[in-house]
Amino acid sequence: MAERAPTFQFATLSQQREADALGMWAFLATELLFFGALIAGYFAYRVTYGDEFIAAARHTKVVLGTANTAVLLTSSACMAMAVHSTEQRARGSAALWFALTALLGLAFIAIKGFEYFEEYREQLVPALNFAVGRYGGVTQLFFIFYFVATGLHALHLTIGVAMIATLAVLAASDRLPSSQPVRMIGLYWHFVDMVWIFLFPLIYLAGRNG
Amino acid sequence: MSARAKVVLRVWIALLALLAATTALAFAPLGSATLFVSLAIAAAKALLVLMIFMELKASSGLVRAFAAAGFFWLAILFALTMADYSHRRDVPAPIDPPAQASIRG
Repeated sequence: MAERAPTFQFATLSQQREADALGMWAFLATELLFFGALIAGYFAYRVTYGDEFIAAARHTKVVLGTANTAVLLTSSACMAMAVHSTEQRARGSAALWFALTALLGLAFIAIKGFEYFEEYREQLVPALNFAVGRYGGVTQLFFIFYFVATGLHALHLTIGVAMIATLAVLAASDRLPSSQPVRMIGLYWHFVDMVWIFLFPLIYLAGRNG
Repeated sequence: MSARAKVVLRVWIALLALLAATTALAFAPLGSATLFVSLAIAAAKALLVLMIFMELKASSGLVRAFAAAGFFWLAILFALTMADYSHRRDVPAPIDPPAQASIRG
């Protein structure tokens, strides 16, 4: 099956492709500054509170965080294969790769949820049950950052899972969209992965050798 | 296996190898260099994702410029924010009220 003709406002398909990519990257730039400001906040805390802030990171679950990073990196590879299969109009393998990507996204959220539950049990959740007397105020500040950053990341991931699960259903029921929207959703998914690539060392690996 | 699938497989293996390296190095006694090592590895991972998975390697200069714009503004945000915080001292100015409130518990 050939790709569709360009929509009416574009002269050629390649012009439409470039316009799509430019618009998507402009949106991702706003997302980059959104998460970037959060991470700048992290470094401001780190500079202000020093070793006390870094040591707070030792309360995070490094095994779960590392496993989740592997899950997310793998899901990105699966999404790259899904985009490739869509370009080849290989409907069956596209459906499979979409499903695998969405399932890995769900696995990430499940592991994250378990992690949040463990942190609740250890009284590490600010505004719910944080034990300031036991952990101290700087650790509380770290965990405020932790829950805001990972929560916003998980929200982005949930939106991505919903879109990719929809693509899996469309591909499986013989309504595979053209490769352009699929590639844009791919860009979004890889971006969310990239945010995690930076959150992971800052949250889970800080203070491990202290 | 198609050429693209081979590339994706290689990048995936490289990403997992970098993840193993950064996790192992985090426990090594590198002192304050740990932060820079882990951020350098994160940057290498991000570059692989940007160039191969997000196809910037095969994109036009204009698309790459749009992608770079976000990072450029982020660099400004970081430079000005950290220039402020890294030059603050824990010494109150004469005008500050005595007995500053502290969040230390």
